[in-house]
Amino acid sequence: MPIDVHFLARLFPALLEGAEVTVELAVLTMAICVVWGLVVALGQATRGPLGWAAGAYIQIVRNTPLLIQMYIVYFGLSLVGVPLSGFASGLLALCLQNGGYVAEIYRGGLQSVSARQYEAGRALGMRRWTLYRSVILPQVIARVIPPLANQGISITKDTSQVAAIAVMEIMKVAQVWVESSANTYDVFLAVGLIYLVLTSVISVGARVAERQLAFVS
Amino acid sequence: MNAESSLATDVTSPRPMLDMSGIVKRFGANEVLRGVSLQVARGETVVVIGPSGSGKTTLLRCVNLLEDYQQGTVAVDGEPVGYVMDRGGQRQRMAEREIAAAREKIGIVFQSYNLFPHMTVLQNIVAAPIRVRGIPRPKAEQRARDLLAMVGLSEKADAYPARLSGGQQQRVAIARALAMDPKIMLFDEVTSALDPELVGEVLAAMQQLARDGMTMIVVTHEMSFARDVADRVVFMDGGVIVEQGAPEEMFASPRTDRVRQFLKRYNDRYRI
Repeated sequence: MPIDVHFLARLFPALLEGAEVTVELAVLTMAICVVWGLVVALGQATRGPLGWAAGAYIQIVRNTPLLIQMYIVYFGLSLVGVPLSGFASGLLALCLQNGGYVAEIYRGGLQSVSARQYEAGRALGMRRWTLYRSVILPQVIARVIPPLANQGISITKDTSQVAAIAVMEIMKVAQVWVESSANTYDVFLAVGLIYLVLTSVISVGARVAERQLAFVS
Repeated sequence: MNAESSLATDVTSPRPMLDMSGIVKRFGANEVLRGVSLQVARGETVVVIGPSGSGKTTLLRCVNLLEDYQQGTVAVDGEPVGYVMDRGGQRQRMAEREIAAAREKIGIVFQSYNLFPHMTVLQNIVAAPIRVRGIPRPKAEQRARDLLAMVGLSEKADAYPARLSGGQQQRVAIARALAMDPKIMLFDEVTSALDPELVGEVLAAMQQLARDGMTMIVVTHEMSFARDVADRVVFMDGGVIVEQGAPEEMFASPRTDRVRQFLKRYNDRYRI
Protein backbone atom coordinates (compact mmCIF):
# COMPACT_ATOMS: atom_id res chain seq x y z
CA MET A 1 0.00 0.00 0.00
CA PRO A 2 1.61 3.26 -1.11
CA ILE A 3 1.72 6.06 1.42
CA ASP A 4 -0.30 9.02 0.23
CA VAL A 5 1.84 11.92 1.45
CA HIS A 6 -0.66 14.53 0.41
CA PHE A 7 -3.42 12.80 2.32
CA LEU A 8 -1.28 12.58 5.46
CA ALA A 9 -0.32 16.21 5.16
CA ARG A 10 -3.99 17.14 5.31
CA LEU A 11 -4.84 14.53 7.93
CA PHE A 12 -2.23 15.38 10.56
CA PRO A 13 -3.24 18.98 11.35
CA ALA A 14 -6.82 17.79 11.81
CA LEU A 15 -5.73 14.92 14.07
CA LEU A 16 -3.55 17.25 16.14
CA GLU A 17 -6.53 19.51 16.69
CA GLY A 18 -8.46 16.49 17.91
CA ALA A 19 -5.48 15.44 20.03
CA GLU A 20 -5.62 18.79 21.77
CA VAL A 21 -9.15 17.99 22.95
CA THR A 22 -7.99 14.50 23.97
CA VAL A 23 -5.17 15.97 26.04
CA GLU A 24 -7.52 18.48 27.65
CA LEU A 25 -9.94 15.73 28.63
CA ALA A 26 -7.20 13.45 29.92
CA VAL A 27 -5.31 16.10 31.87
CA LEU A 28 -8.47 17.54 33.44
CA THR A 29 -9.72 14.06 34.36
CA MET A 30 -6.39 13.12 35.94
CA ALA A 31 -6.11 16.38 37.85
CA ILE A 32 -9.65 16.14 39.19
CA CYS A 33 -9.41 12.42 40.01
CA VAL A 34 -6.14 12.78 41.94
CA VAL A 35 -8.02 15.04 44.36
CA TRP A 36 -11.51 13.55 44.10
CA GLY A 37 -10.21 9.98 44.49
CA LEU A 38 -8.41 10.97 47.68
CA VAL A 39 -11.55 12.58 49.06
CA VAL A 40 -13.52 9.40 48.33
CA ALA A 41 -10.81 7.16 49.81
CA LEU A 42 -10.61 9.21 53.02
CA GLY A 43 -14.41 9.24 53.16
CA GLN A 44 -14.53 5.50 52.73
CA ALA A 45 -12.07 5.09 55.62
CA THR A 46 -14.56 6.68 58.03
CA ARG A 47 -17.29 4.81 59.85
CA GLY A 48 -20.95 5.63 59.36
CA PRO A 49 -23.02 6.92 56.42
CA LEU A 50 -20.12 8.72 54.73
CA GLY A 51 -18.05 5.55 54.55
CA TRP A 52 -21.05 3.59 53.33
CA ALA A 53 -21.87 6.17 50.64
CA ALA A 54 -18.26 6.28 49.42
CA GLY A 55 -18.17 2.47 49.22
CA ALA A 56 -21.45 2.35 47.27
CA TYR A 57 -20.22 5.04 44.88
CA ILE A 58 -17.04 3.08 44.14
CA GLN A 59 -18.97 -0.13 43.52
CA ILE A 60 -21.45 1.51 41.14
CA VAL A 61 -19.01 3.51 39.02
CA ARG A 62 -16.45 0.72 38.76
CA ASN A 63 -18.94 -1.97 37.89
CA THR A 64 -20.80 -0.27 35.03
CA PRO A 65 -19.42 0.65 31.59
CA LEU A 66 -18.09 4.15 31.01
CA LEU A 67 -20.23 4.43 27.89
CA ILE A 68 -23.44 3.93 29.89
CA GLN A 69 -22.36 6.44 32.52
CA MET A 70 -21.63 8.90 29.75
CA TYR A 71 -25.04 8.41 28.11
CA ILE A 72 -26.75 8.84 31.47
CA VAL A 73 -24.90 12.09 32.09
CA TYR A 74 -25.31 13.42 28.54
CA PHE A 75 -28.91 12.45 27.83
CA GLY A 76 -30.18 12.01 31.37
CA LEU A 77 -29.18 15.47 32.59
CA SER A 78 -30.77 17.16 29.59
CA LEU A 79 -33.99 15.22 30.27
CA VAL A 80 -34.15 16.70 33.76
CA GLY A 81 -33.39 20.15 32.40
CA VAL A 82 -29.63 20.41 33.07
CA PRO A 83 -28.15 19.98 29.60
CA LEU A 84 -24.36 19.76 29.54
CA SER A 85 -22.16 20.04 26.46
CA GLY A 86 -20.62 16.86 25.08
CA PHE A 87 -17.24 17.87 26.43
CA ALA A 88 -18.58 18.59 29.92
CA SER A 89 -20.62 15.37 29.95
CA GLY A 90 -17.63 13.35 28.83
CA LEU A 91 -15.39 14.96 31.42
CA LEU A 92 -17.94 14.38 34.19
CA ALA A 93 -18.39 10.71 33.24
CA LEU A 94 -14.64 10.15 33.00
CA CYS A 95 -14.17 11.74 36.43
CA LEU A 96 -17.02 9.76 37.99
CA GLN A 97 -15.68 6.42 36.87
CA ASN A 98 -11.99 7.05 37.29
CA GLY A 99 -12.61 8.70 40.65
CA GLY A 100 -13.75 5.27 41.82
CA TYR A 101 -10.64 3.57 40.48
CA VAL A 102 -8.31 6.21 41.88
CA ALA A 103 -10.06 5.98 45.28
CA GLU A 104 -9.27 2.26 45.30
CA ILE A 105 -5.64 3.01 44.49
CA TYR A 106 -5.46 5.41 47.44
CA ARG A 107 -7.22 2.89 49.67
CA GLY A 108 -4.51 0.35 48.88
CA GLY A 109 -1.87 2.98 49.61
CA LEU A 110 -3.48 3.96 52.90
CA GLN A 111 -3.72 0.33 53.98
CA SER A 112 -0.06 -0.23 53.20
CA VAL A 113 0.95 2.29 55.89
CA SER A 114 1.34 0.45 59.18
CA ALA A 115 -0.98 1.24 62.09
CA ARG A 116 2.21 1.91 64.05
CA GLN A 117 2.85 5.03 61.97
CA TYR A 118 -0.53 6.42 63.05
CA GLU A 119 0.27 5.54 66.67
CA ALA A 120 3.67 7.19 66.51
CA GLY A 121 2.11 10.40 65.18
CA ARG A 122 -0.75 10.40 67.67
CA ALA A 123 1.64 9.75 70.55
CA LEU A 124 3.49 12.94 69.57
CA GLY A 125 0.27 14.93 69.94
CA MET A 126 -0.57 15.13 66.24
CA ARG A 127 -4.23 15.60 65.42
CA ARG A 128 -5.87 13.97 62.43
CA TRP A 129 -5.04 16.53 59.76
CA THR A 130 -1.41 17.03 60.84
CA LEU A 131 -0.98 13.27 61.06
CA TYR A 132 -2.28 12.71 57.54
CA ARG A 133 -0.47 15.64 56.01
CA SER A 134 2.98 15.09 57.45
CA VAL A 135 3.13 11.37 58.23
CA ILE A 136 0.61 9.29 56.31
CA LEU A 137 -0.01 10.95 52.93
CA PRO A 138 3.66 11.45 51.99
CA GLN A 139 4.14 7.71 52.39
CA VAL A 140 0.93 6.94 50.52
CA ILE A 141 1.78 9.22 47.59
CA ALA A 142 5.22 7.70 47.12
CA ARG A 143 3.58 4.28 46.88
CA VAL A 144 0.65 5.17 44.60
CA ILE A 145 2.64 6.88 41.82
CA PRO A 146 3.04 3.70 39.71
CA PRO A 147 -0.65 2.65 39.87
CA LEU A 148 -1.74 6.28 39.34
CA ALA A 149 0.39 6.48 36.20
CA ASN A 150 -1.25 3.29 35.03
CA GLN A 151 -4.65 4.85 35.60
CA GLY A 152 -3.53 7.99 33.74
CA ILE A 153 -2.70 5.86 30.71
CA SER A 154 -6.05 4.13 30.99
CA ILE A 155 -7.82 7.51 31.22
CA THR A 156 -6.03 8.79 28.14
CA LYS A 157 -7.24 5.80 26.13
CA ASP A 158 -10.74 5.99 27.66
CA THR A 159 -11.18 9.54 26.37
CA SER A 160 -11.71 7.93 22.95
CA GLN A 161 -15.15 6.80 24.14
CA VAL A 162 -16.25 10.42 24.34
CA ALA A 163 -16.49 10.22 20.54
CA ALA A 164 -19.83 8.50 21.15
CA ILE A 165 -21.37 11.77 22.31
CA ALA A 166 -19.96 13.73 19.38
CA VAL A 167 -17.02 15.45 21.05
CA MET A 168 -14.41 16.22 18.41
CA GLU A 169 -11.50 14.60 20.14
CA ILE A 170 -8.97 12.64 18.13
CA MET A 171 -11.07 9.50 17.76
CA LYS A 172 -14.12 11.37 16.51
CA VAL A 173 -11.94 13.34 14.09
CA ALA A 174 -10.53 10.05 12.84
CA GLN A 175 -13.99 8.56 12.34
CA VAL A 176 -15.01 11.57 10.28
CA TRP A 177 -11.90 11.26 8.11
CA VAL A 178 -12.37 7.55 7.64
CA GLU A 179 -15.94 8.05 6.50
CA SER A 180 -15.02 10.75 4.01
CA SER A 181 -11.83 9.15 2.66
CA ALA A 182 -12.29 5.39 3.20
CA ASN A 183 -8.60 5.39 4.11
CA THR A 184 -9.11 3.37 7.27
CA TYR A 185 -5.58 2.08 7.89
CA ASP A 186 -3.66 5.31 7.47
CA VAL A 187 -6.03 7.21 9.71
CA PHE A 188 -6.22 4.70 12.56
CA LEU A 189 -2.48 3.92 12.44
CA ALA A 190 -1.78 7.63 12.74
CA VAL A 191 -4.24 7.91 15.63
CA GLY A 192 -2.70 4.89 17.39
CA LEU A 193 0.72 6.48 17.04
CA ILE A 194 -0.46 9.72 18.61
CA TYR A 195 -2.02 7.85 21.57
CA LEU A 196 1.28 6.02 22.00
CA VAL A 197 3.17 9.30 22.18
CA LEU A 198 0.70 10.74 24.73
CA THR A 199 0.78 7.69 27.01
CA SER A 200 4.58 7.48 26.75
CA VAL A 201 4.81 10.99 28.16
CA ILE A 202 2.84 9.79 31.20
CA SER A 203 5.07 6.72 31.65
CA VAL A 204 8.25 8.77 31.54
CA GLY A 205 6.78 11.46 33.81
CA ALA A 206 5.80 8.79 36.35
CA ARG A 207 9.31 7.30 36.34
CA VAL A 208 10.76 10.71 37.09
CA ALA A 209 8.20 11.41 39.83
CA GLU A 210 8.77 7.99 41.35
CA ARG A 211 12.49 8.62 41.57
CA GLN A 212 11.96 12.09 43.01
CA LEU A 213 9.56 10.92 45.71
CA ALA A 214 11.31 7.68 46.60
CA PHE A 215 12.70 7.54 50.10
CA VAL A 216 15.18 4.94 51.24
CA SER A 217 13.23 2.04 52.66
CA MET B 1 15.49 25.24 102.03
CA ASN B 2 12.96 28.02 102.19
CA ALA B 3 9.37 27.72 101.09
CA GLU B 4 9.87 29.74 97.93
CA SER B 5 12.61 27.58 96.49
CA SER B 6 10.72 24.40 97.23
CA LEU B 7 7.80 25.78 95.25
CA ALA B 8 10.06 26.68 92.36
CA THR B 9 11.69 23.27 92.06
CA ASP B 10 8.53 21.47 93.09
CA VAL B 11 10.52 18.46 94.33
CA THR B 12 8.61 18.39 97.56
CA SER B 13 5.21 18.39 95.86
CA PRO B 14 3.16 15.46 97.05
CA ARG B 15 1.35 15.32 93.72
CA PRO B 16 2.63 12.36 91.69
CA MET B 17 3.77 12.92 88.10
CA LEU B 18 1.58 10.03 87.01
CA ASP B 19 -1.59 8.94 88.73
CA MET B 20 -3.41 5.95 87.24
CA SER B 21 -6.44 4.92 89.17
CA GLY B 22 -8.57 1.79 88.85
CA ILE B 23 -7.79 1.07 85.21
CA VAL B 24 -9.95 -1.70 83.76
CA LYS B 25 -9.30 -2.78 80.18
CA ARG B 26 -11.20 -5.47 78.32
CA PHE B 27 -10.63 -6.92 74.87
CA GLY B 28 -14.11 -8.36 74.34
CA ALA B 29 -14.73 -10.73 77.21
CA ASN B 30 -11.05 -10.88 78.10
CA GLU B 31 -10.17 -8.58 80.99
CA VAL B 32 -6.51 -7.71 80.55
CA LEU B 33 -6.32 -5.01 83.24
CA ARG B 34 -8.38 -5.64 86.34
CA GLY B 35 -8.42 -2.33 88.16
CA VAL B 36 -4.77 -1.31 88.16
CA SER B 37 -3.65 1.75 90.12
CA LEU B 38 -0.14 3.08 89.76
CA GLN B 39 1.45 6.29 90.93
CA VAL B 40 4.84 7.47 89.79
CA ALA B 41 6.64 10.26 91.60
CA ARG B 42 8.45 13.11 89.89
CA GLY B 43 11.85 11.91 88.71
CA GLU B 44 11.14 8.31 89.62
CA THR B 45 12.06 5.40 87.35
CA VAL B 46 9.57 2.56 87.59
CA VAL B 47 10.40 -0.70 85.84
CA VAL B 48 7.45 -2.97 85.08
CA ILE B 49 8.21 -6.68 84.74
CA GLY B 50 6.05 -9.75 84.39
CA PRO B 51 5.29 -12.66 82.08
CA SER B 52 3.96 -12.15 78.54
CA GLY B 53 0.28 -11.36 78.55
CA SER B 54 0.37 -9.96 82.06
CA GLY B 55 -0.93 -6.59 80.83
CA LYS B 56 2.20 -4.50 81.30
CA THR B 57 2.38 -3.19 77.74
CA THR B 58 -1.36 -2.53 77.73
CA LEU B 59 -1.04 -0.58 80.97
CA LEU B 60 1.70 1.55 79.42
CA ARG B 61 -0.40 2.24 76.32
CA CYS B 62 -3.33 3.30 78.50
CA VAL B 63 -1.25 6.15 79.92
CA ASN B 64 -1.45 8.14 76.67
CA LEU B 65 -4.70 6.55 75.49
CA LEU B 66 -3.18 4.62 72.58
CA GLU B 67 -5.27 1.94 74.22
CA ASP B 68 -8.73 2.88 75.44
CA TYR B 69 -9.95 1.52 78.77
CA GLN B 70 -13.39 0.91 80.19
CA GLN B 71 -12.92 2.15 83.75
CA GLY B 72 -10.52 4.34 85.66
CA THR B 73 -8.70 7.61 85.10
CA VAL B 74 -5.20 8.81 84.30
CA ALA B 75 -3.61 12.12 85.23
CA VAL B 76 -0.16 13.43 84.36
CA ASP B 77 1.12 16.16 86.65
CA GLY B 78 -2.41 16.62 87.92
CA GLU B 79 -3.90 17.08 84.43
CA PRO B 80 -6.38 14.42 83.27
CA VAL B 81 -5.53 12.41 80.16
CA GLY B 82 -8.48 10.96 78.27
CA TYR B 83 -11.26 11.08 80.83
CA VAL B 84 -12.54 13.49 83.44
CA MET B 85 -15.09 12.88 86.15
CA ASP B 86 -18.23 15.01 85.94
CA ARG B 87 -20.20 16.21 88.96
CA GLY B 88 -22.32 13.08 89.00
CA GLY B 89 -19.19 10.91 89.24
CA GLN B 90 -19.54 9.77 85.62
CA ARG B 91 -16.48 9.39 83.40
CA GLN B 92 -16.54 11.77 80.42
CA ARG B 93 -14.17 11.37 77.49
CA MET B 94 -12.20 14.50 76.69
CA ALA B 95 -12.35 16.08 73.21
CA GLU B 96 -9.80 14.81 70.68
CA ARG B 97 -8.10 18.21 70.73
CA GLU B 98 -7.61 17.98 74.49
CA ILE B 99 -6.39 14.39 74.30
CA ALA B 100 -3.86 15.38 71.63
CA ALA B 101 -2.64 18.23 73.82
CA ALA B 102 -2.27 15.87 76.79
CA ARG B 103 -0.26 13.42 74.67
CA GLU B 104 2.32 16.09 73.89
CA LYS B 105 3.47 15.83 77.49
CA ILE B 106 3.85 12.04 77.40
CA GLY B 107 6.78 10.61 75.46
CA ILE B 108 6.64 6.99 74.35
CA VAL B 109 9.23 4.77 72.71
CA PHE B 110 7.98 1.62 71.00
CA GLN B 111 9.47 -1.83 70.60
CA SER B 112 9.43 -1.41 66.81
CA TYR B 113 10.92 2.16 66.77
CA ASN B 114 8.16 3.47 64.45
CA LEU B 115 10.29 6.22 62.95
CA PHE B 116 8.78 7.99 59.94
CA PRO B 117 10.55 6.29 56.99
CA HIS B 118 10.10 9.20 54.56
CA MET B 119 11.86 11.67 56.84
CA THR B 120 15.52 12.01 57.73
CA VAL B 121 16.57 11.57 61.34
CA LEU B 122 16.49 15.34 61.89
CA GLN B 123 13.08 15.69 60.21
CA ASN B 124 11.73 12.88 62.40
CA ILE B 125 12.77 14.76 65.51
CA VAL B 126 11.55 18.25 64.51
CA ALA B 127 8.26 17.22 62.88
CA ALA B 128 6.08 17.32 66.00
CA PRO B 129 7.80 20.29 67.70
CA ILE B 130 7.25 22.37 64.55
CA ARG B 131 3.84 21.11 63.45
CA VAL B 132 2.24 20.45 66.84
CA ARG B 133 3.87 22.95 69.15
CA GLY B 134 4.63 25.62 66.56
CA ILE B 135 8.28 25.99 67.52
CA PRO B 136 10.28 27.90 64.87
CA ARG B 137 12.30 25.56 62.67
CA PRO B 138 15.80 26.90 63.55
CA LYS B 139 15.09 26.53 67.26
CA ALA B 140 13.59 23.05 66.79
CA GLU B 141 16.58 21.93 64.72
CA GLN B 142 19.06 23.24 67.27
CA ARG B 143 17.26 21.31 70.00
CA ALA B 144 17.16 18.22 67.77
CA ARG B 145 20.92 18.40 67.21
CA ASP B 146 21.49 18.71 70.95
CA LEU B 147 19.35 15.63 71.55
CA LEU B 148 21.14 13.71 68.80
CA ALA B 149 24.44 14.57 70.44
CA MET B 150 23.04 13.31 73.73
CA VAL B 151 22.18 9.92 72.23
CA GLY B 152 25.47 9.85 70.33
CA LEU B 153 24.12 10.18 66.79
CA SER B 154 25.15 13.68 65.69
CA GLU B 155 26.60 12.40 62.43
CA LYS B 156 23.31 10.70 61.45
CA ALA B 157 21.12 13.82 61.31
CA ASP B 158 20.61 13.64 57.55
CA ALA B 159 20.36 9.84 57.25
CA TYR B 160 17.09 8.07 56.56
CA PRO B 161 15.92 5.56 59.21
CA ALA B 162 16.38 2.60 56.85
CA ARG B 163 20.12 3.33 56.78
CA LEU B 164 20.43 2.97 60.57
CA SER B 165 20.86 -0.08 62.77
CA GLY B 166 18.04 -1.01 65.13
CA GLY B 167 19.91 0.42 68.09
CA GLN B 168 20.51 3.69 66.27
CA GLN B 169 16.86 3.90 65.21
CA GLN B 170 15.76 3.33 68.77
CA ARG B 171 18.03 6.10 70.03
CA VAL B 172 16.54 8.43 67.40
CA ALA B 173 13.09 7.41 68.64
CA ILE B 174 14.13 8.40 72.17
CA ALA B 175 15.41 11.76 70.89
CA ARG B 176 12.17 12.27 68.93
CA ALA B 177 10.07 11.72 72.05
CA LEU B 178 12.31 13.99 74.16
CA ALA B 179 12.03 16.81 71.61
CA MET B 180 8.48 17.45 72.82
CA ASP B 181 9.83 18.13 76.33
CA PRO B 182 7.63 15.45 77.91
CA LYS B 183 6.94 15.31 81.61
CA ILE B 184 7.13 11.53 81.58
CA MET B 185 8.70 8.96 79.28
CA LEU B 186 7.24 5.53 78.58
CA PHE B 187 9.40 2.71 77.23
CA ASP B 188 7.60 -0.32 75.79
CA GLU B 189 10.05 -3.25 75.55
CA VAL B 190 12.35 -0.99 73.59
CA THR B 191 15.23 -3.48 73.43
CA SER B 192 13.20 -6.61 72.62
CA ALA B 193 13.58 -6.28 68.84
CA LEU B 194 17.30 -5.50 68.99
CA ASP B 195 20.27 -7.75 68.31
CA PRO B 196 21.93 -8.49 71.67
CA GLU B 197 25.03 -6.42 70.87
CA LEU B 198 22.87 -3.33 70.26
CA VAL B 199 20.88 -3.52 73.50
CA GLY B 200 23.57 -1.84 75.61
CA GLU B 201 23.69 1.45 73.70
CA VAL B 202 19.93 1.95 74.08
CA LEU B 203 19.89 1.03 77.77
CA ALA B 204 22.81 3.43 78.34
CA ALA B 205 20.82 6.30 76.84
CA MET B 206 17.87 5.42 79.08
CA GLN B 207 20.07 5.15 82.15
CA GLN B 208 21.47 8.62 81.43
CA LEU B 209 17.94 9.96 81.11
CA ALA B 210 16.95 8.45 84.45
CA ARG B 211 20.02 9.97 86.06
CA ASP B 212 19.07 13.38 84.63
CA GLY B 213 15.82 13.18 86.56
CA MET B 214 13.29 12.19 83.90
CA THR B 215 10.19 10.45 85.20
CA MET B 216 10.12 7.07 83.46
CA ILE B 217 8.08 3.90 83.20
CA VAL B 218 10.03 1.09 81.59
CA VAL B 219 8.39 -2.15 80.52
CA THR B 220 11.23 -4.58 79.92
CA HIS B 221 12.62 -8.08 80.19
CA GLU B 222 16.07 -6.69 81.01
CA MET B 223 16.37 -7.66 84.65
CA SER B 224 19.82 -6.13 84.95
CA PHE B 225 18.38 -2.77 83.90
CA ALA B 226 15.63 -3.16 86.49
CA ARG B 227 18.20 -3.97 89.17
CA ASP B 228 20.61 -1.17 88.26
CA VAL B 229 18.38 1.73 87.24
CA ALA B 230 14.91 1.29 88.76
CA ASP B 231 13.84 3.20 91.83
CA ARG B 232 10.94 0.78 92.05
CA VAL B 233 10.08 -2.49 90.36
CA VAL B 234 6.46 -3.38 89.65
CA PHE B 235 5.59 -7.00 88.96
CA MET B 236 2.39 -7.61 86.98
CA ASP B 237 0.60 -10.86 86.31
CA GLY B 238 -2.92 -11.61 85.15
CA GLY B 239 -3.83 -7.95 84.75
CA VAL B 240 -2.99 -6.86 88.27
CA ILE B 241 0.06 -5.55 90.12
CA VAL B 242 1.12 -8.53 92.22
CA GLU B 243 4.05 -7.02 94.02
CA GLN B 244 6.16 -3.88 93.96
CA GLY B 245 9.13 -2.51 95.80
CA ALA B 246 12.76 -1.51 95.65
CA PRO B 247 14.68 -3.67 93.17
CA GLU B 248 17.20 -5.00 95.67
CA GLU B 249 14.38 -6.21 97.93
CA MET B 250 12.30 -7.76 95.20
CA PHE B 251 15.16 -9.57 93.52
CA ALA B 252 16.72 -10.73 96.80
CA SER B 253 13.58 -11.71 98.69
CA PRO B 254 10.36 -11.66 96.73
CA ARG B 255 7.28 -11.76 98.95
CA THR B 256 5.02 -13.74 96.63
CA ASP B 257 5.35 -17.12 94.97
CA ARG B 258 4.52 -15.74 91.56
CA VAL B 259 7.45 -13.32 91.60
CA ARG B 260 9.72 -16.07 92.98
CA GLN B 261 8.72 -18.43 90.15
CA PHE B 262 9.07 -15.72 87.51
CA LEU B 263 12.56 -14.76 88.69
CA LYS B 264 13.60 -18.41 88.97
CA ARG B 265 12.48 -19.14 85.40
CA TYR B 266 14.31 -16.04 84.26
CA ASN B 267 17.50 -16.98 86.09
CA ASP B 268 17.37 -20.56 84.81
CA ARG B 269 17.05 -19.36 81.25
CA TYR B 270 19.85 -16.82 81.37
CA ARG B 271 22.35 -18.63 83.60
CA ILE B 272 25.51 -19.25 81.64
